[in-house]
Amino acid sequence: MDGKVRKPKQHQQKHSGPQAEKKKLKKHGASTETDERKRNPKAFAVQSAVRMAKTFHRAQDIKAKKHHIPLVDRTPLEPPPIVVVVVGPPKVGKSTLVRCLIKNFTRQKLGEISGPVTIVSGKKRRLTFMECNNDINTMIDLAKVADLVLMLIDASFGFEMETFEFLNICQVHGFPRIMGVLTHLDSFKNNKTLRKTKKNLKHRFWTEVYQGAKLFYLSGMVYGEYQTQEVKNLGRFISVMKFRPLVWQTSHPYVLVDRMEDLTDPEKVRIDPKCDRTASLYGYLRGTHLKNKGQIHIPGVGDFQVKDVNFLPDPCPLPDAQKKRALNEKEHAVYIDLPASHVNQLQAEMQPTTELVQSLIDTHATLDAKMAASKVSLFSGSATLDPTDISEQSGEQALWDPKTQRERRKVLFAEEMKDDDEEDDEDEEEESEGGDEGESSGEDDLSEEEDNEEDCLSAFLKKSRGDSVKASGPPVKKSKVEAESERPVFADSEDELEMSEHEKEEEDEDEEGRTPCFILFVSTGALKWKENLQLKASQAFLRQQESAPNLRKLVYGSVVEVEDDEDEEELGGLFRVSRPQNNKRFQANDLDSSHFHPDTTHNWDLEEMLNSIRDCFVTGKWEEGQDAATLLKEDEELYGDFEDLETGEVQKGQKSEADSDDDGDNEVEQSEVKMDEEESRKNKRLEKKRRLKERFNAEYDDGDATYFDDLKEELQKQAELNRAEFEDVDDETRVQYEGFRPGMYVRLEISSLPCEFVTSFDPHYPIILGGLGSSEGNVGYLQMRLKKHRWHDRILKTRDPLILSLGWRRFQTIPLYHIEDHNGRHRLLKYTPLHMHCGASIWGPITPQGTGFLALQSLTGIKPNFRIAATGVVLDLDKSVTVVKKLKLIGYPYKIFKNTSFIKGMFNTVLEVAKFEGASVRTVSGIRGQIKKALSTPPGAYRATFEDRLLMSDIVFLRSWFPVAVPQLYNPVTSLLLPIGQKDSWSGMRTLGQLKHDLGIRYKPNSDSLYKPITRAPRRFNKLHIPKELQKALPFKNKPKQQQPKGKTSRDLQRPSVIREPHERKVSKALLQALSTVHNYNRKKTHMVQHSKHKEFLKEKGKQEDAKLKRQKEARKKLYRVMGQMDQKKQRSSLKGQPK
Amino acid sequence: MASEGLSYDGCNFFRQRLVLSTLSGKRVKIKNIRSKEDDPGLRGTVLFYQPGLLYGGSVEHECNPQRSIGYYLEALLMLGAFMKTPLKATLRGVTNDRTDPTVDLLKSTALPLMKKFGIDGEGFELKVVKRGMAPGGGGEVVFTCPVRRTIRPIQLTDPGKIKRIRGVAYSARVSPQMANRIVDSARGILNQFLPDIYIYTDHMKGANSGKSPGFGLTLVAETLNGCFLSAEMTSTPQGQGDPVLPEDLGRNCAKLLLEEVHRGGCVDSTNQSLALLLMTLGQQDVSKVLLGPLSPYTIEFLRHIRDFFQIMFKIEVQKPLEDERKGGDKVLLTGVGVGYSNINKTLK
Repeated sequence: MDGKVRKPKQHQQKHSGPQAEKKKLKKHGASTETDERKRNPKAFAVQSAVRMAKTFHRAQDIKAKKHHIPLVDRTPLEPPPIVVVVVGPPKVGKSTLVRCLIKNFTRQKLGEISGPVTIVSGKKRRLTFMECNNDINTMIDLAKVADLVLMLIDASFGFEMETFEFLNICQVHGFPRIMGVLTHLDSFKNNKTLRKTKKNLKHRFWTEVYQGAKLFYLSGMVYGEYQTQEVKNLGRFISVMKFRPLVWQTSHPYVLVDRMEDLTDPEKVRIDPKCDRTASLYGYLRGTHLKNKGQIHIPGVGDFQVKDVNFLPDPCPLPDAQKKRALNEKEHAVYIDLPASHVNQLQAEMQPTTELVQSLIDTHATLDAKMAASKVSLFSGSATLDPTDISEQSGEQALWDPKTQRERRKVLFAEEMKDDDEEDDEDEEEESEGGDEGESSGEDDLSEEEDNEEDCLSAFLKKSRGDSVKASGPPVKKSKVEAESERPVFADSEDELEMSEHEKEEEDEDEEGRTPCFILFVSTGALKWKENLQLKASQAFLRQQESAPNLRKLVYGSVVEVEDDEDEEELGGLFRVSRPQNNKRFQANDLDSSHFHPDTTHNWDLEEMLNSIRDCFVTGKWEEGQDAATLLKEDEELYGDFEDLETGEVQKGQKSEADSDDDGDNEVEQSEVKMDEEESRKNKRLEKKRRLKERFNAEYDDGDATYFDDLKEELQKQAELNRAEFEDVDDETRVQYEGFRPGMYVRLEISSLPCEFVTSFDPHYPIILGGLGSSEGNVGYLQMRLKKHRWHDRILKTRDPLILSLGWRRFQTIPLYHIEDHNGRHRLLKYTPLHMHCGASIWGPITPQGTGFLALQSLTGIKPNFRIAATGVVLDLDKSVTVVKKLKLIGYPYKIFKNTSFIKGMFNTVLEVAKFEGASVRTVSGIRGQIKKALSTPPGAYRATFEDRLLMSDIVFLRSWFPVAVPQLYNPVTSLLLPIGQKDSWSGMRTLGQLKHDLGIRYKPNSDSLYKPITRAPRRFNKLHIPKELQKALPFKNKPKQQQPKGKTSRDLQRPSVIREPHERKVSKALLQALSTVHNYNRKKTHMVQHSKHKEFLKEKGKQEDAKLKRQKEARKKLYRVMGQMDQKKQRSSLKGQPK
Repeated sequence: MASEGLSYDGCNFFRQRLVLSTLSGKRVKIKNIRSKEDDPGLRGTVLFYQPGLLYGGSVEHECNPQRSIGYYLEALLMLGAFMKTPLKATLRGVTNDRTDPTVDLLKSTALPLMKKFGIDGEGFELKVVKRGMAPGGGGEVVFTCPVRRTIRPIQLTDPGKIKRIRGVAYSARVSPQMANRIVDSARGILNQFLPDIYIYTDHMKGANSGKSPGFGLTLVAETLNGCFLSAEMTSTPQGQGDPVLPEDLGRNCAKLLLEEVHRGGCVDSTNQSLALLLMTLGQQDVSKVLLGPLSPYTIEFLRHIRDFFQIMFKIEVQKPLEDERKGGDKVLLTGVGVGYSNINKTLK
């Protein structure tokens, strides 16, 4: 090569030849399609009107199917991070995937992740990753908040029950986006099986989600991570994905909690370790607006009243809307919640930490501060990492000591906590220990935990997968990997520090959020923030007061106790109304009337008073643009010139006349004026054009616009208004008007949380704060439509407790199943039908109709079969549907007159009978009757009439319907309150079957119900007696015959038997023998003759046949010869050439 | 459950509290009801209300003649659309009196207002079957209301100009001439502004005229944008206070209407709270309404809404321009609905 870069060969276009010609033709006749139609019109002619109608119909159907009911787009300008839930059975690679994705977006490696992680993935998108463990409680909770589900499937094993269970949970609670990810694809050695498996899995996945659902393949691991390119592709898919709002999520506010702080007074905790706790929970608000002091439900814990809500600066803000194509590295902020925080540490911050701690020791800090301090220590502990220390510190294992009051110290100080002296000791100790040990121990614990986890997992796997378990994948969760991976974190965070250019407070807060070190500042930060908040709020309020003159204050009261009288006077008429408010006590027992009695100041006899409202009437003065005169003028401009066709007279618009006049006059005038006029005329023309166009558009659209379009436009307008209305109001005030809007980072303070929530806090389990709508906090009767899941292997029994997941809640309740009869009666069922919907009535939380639910029989244990027992939907919210069951009352006749009988044994008192007077009764044999009146003795007996006479052996019964009360059991599943490691072992009320099984009680059947061998007494029928008169009248056929058995024949009628003499016997025998011999001989002879004759005949016949065959053969031979000759001739001639 | 109830003092705003409690599902306790008085009127002075579900259907109620049917009807209008089954309420008692909005007024103003929120259709009607004047009563009103799952947001910021004035001059058990006299005097004042005035005379006779004599006038001004402003006046009940001349009544009522016009807004002062409630119960969208000065009743209602639904309205005062002759200050209320959905309605 001589330095010259060789250019790749350029493409040379052909200018001649068939290729070029073809191209030319194509270019010229660009519209080949229409050409074809022209060229071959027959092919495109209407062949069948019916078919055409059908195709049209189908096209329209498809078009209409694409329509969704338009919804108002209520997504805020800054939407909350998208919740990406990574789901899958254990050991499928969930954590690895989360780590890889985070690394892909942020270039940071994280070690153990134990909670939601929020990252910025693009200019307008943030993601919160959350891993879902194999607990069905977690699966249910996360399905309710997920926007996107990454469903990991172990391709080497295939689908597991968990996958399908999760899919079904999703279906019930609104279907979030679901993306399948196949892992463990490297375990396939054979390429063909790999392809086949992929295809099979894909199609099964499609039937479950939808045809064409995205399924990703992660082909293999490289150094314990997935391949970068594949992860990158997956990340791209995630960051451009679109979401359709889900009904439940858009109508309820919810928070996926990032952080939890215990705010309880430590003294109180010391005195009573089991006292109720106050905690503040942090997270992004999602869904819809959250009202302060609203009610929330924490799945797994219970219902709570929010004590206070504040919004905080965003810890993981979206990058500013700069005109940049891509984010630079720094902007990929990571926000990791508290649970995971112990993994991310920052060496540089060691110094301030200790300072802070010291100061805390000196001062009696608030609980909040102490909490923060404890966290700090956590950090300092984990600041440096030395893998060699791991082996040394295996003693500090009491990671999740249930007695520990604060879960956050779990890693380090669980043992230290044993001595009751609180933080001070700890802090000192920790200081003296320095970073290394703490860190190592933390790490150690982690690894310990992991080991445990792995053990559990493997145990579980063995159970669920049976023998086909393979030790798959390289050991990912090794502490060494983590140790290495933690380095890059603080480089980034330092950048952040440098970058921050806001004022100091904000800086602090900013750091808190953006860098993993944020918690360091919480102690001071939180306090500061609190001060600020109050200050800010009051300032904002004052500002507000000033701007909106006191009407707001008047209505809603105010924080600032400033009474300014000037305002009142200023407002005049408006303000008189405030007076009664000032003396509220006086008002409290006033007359309750909505009348607004006028003040007497206005004297409506005065002319000026009348004049003051003159413009309110159509006769008054109109606004500039709406004046009748202007409107008329405009109209004239538009339709100025027109010809009256009837009279043939041409009407000229006034204006144009004037114009022409003007033209005549103004010719001599200055050019400047002319220019002006020109301009104005031009403007007018334009205006006219615009109006015409508008009018045309309006008309045109009216013809074409559908209801759907109108609705869409209307909703669009509403959405714009929603966005614009409070845009320029500052957040403090705005929050009061619309509540906290989704996308805000909020802090919710909740008091009276059970202590177990704090003591057995496990960050791996999601904490969700689900807002409840009005009256959704109440409990009542619910009517639901329910269907047993077709994959559940048993039918469900009425009154067996069932765990439902409905709305945010998981609870146990006792359902009654029923079905509606044709007459509208709801009949109780003992069991759910196999393949049908049935009704279910429960006592449970009020939830809006149309909300879906799913039912489980138990949450504990690992069963090989499908756990979701039933699914359904809430129909109604009261007990208007009375479920009834059939009740048959049985009585026996004790006296029978003609058609009247006295029945006893059905009732016990006269009163009971009186209640059923007129009721219809029936016997087993089908004779119908009616209860008439009670009899005095025996008590409960009554007189009844029947359509026929009863027998004493008849049994009379009365069929009635007895209302069944729905049992009032509402038992929320408190799985989050269970000790760590046992959170999936919640068990509530047992079913009757389980109880009996556990207690060893066997069912004792009613002895009457047992089957016994049937012994039937032989039936005797009486003789049929036909009266003589009737007999006479009968035709002979039907007359009873005299069927007496035949008697003995009399002796004289009997015939005598013949007895031969010996001589007679001899003669007859010889004669008979001789005769038969002669006969035999003759027969034989004739047979012989016949036989020989036949033989002759056959011989003759054979001869004839031979001759015939011979003849035929000859003839055939001749024929073939002739045919062969002809063929030959033909061939010969064909060789010569085509015959003409 | 964890939801805490609300607690109030005194008997005032009783209906508001019950209505809001029913709709929000929050319990309410009202204490010290006329506790200082000798005759508290109830058996006790404390009331505890635990809301349930609204069933609807056919209801008949004999209203106490101390208050007119309007008192009951106002609460019913607020609840009517949120029942399980469409409501058909027959109320008997006093149809017209001086303390409460009369049924005629509610019919001509509240119903069109509710229609703007999407509560309309065939079964939406208020019918005065019999008229019953103040002390005796004996009137009958049938109110039917369809059920709605959700309420539409509204934007009522421009009332438009008044295009016509309609009214009903009613009389019962008095000379039918009374009504004509009222009409004449009222027209005398209103004709200064508008030629399009029509006041119906409604004279009830026999069984339909209730138990007591009386007469009155209801005036409604309709604007170009379909807003209704109203005023009314009723004769003093028989045997209570000085009798009123029909001419005076007509004139005063016309002046009351002018007063109402002076206050202005898109919703008249009687129905302010109804409009605000329906705005609150709307979807999570912004609703706006322009009102005249807020009545004390409305102000208390706003506070109650904040208590029950944690909703505050943005209140802006709009002062009239210099050269505008459109009455006094107006108040623009802006709020976001709570996203209420009718939990009583059955899903089929």
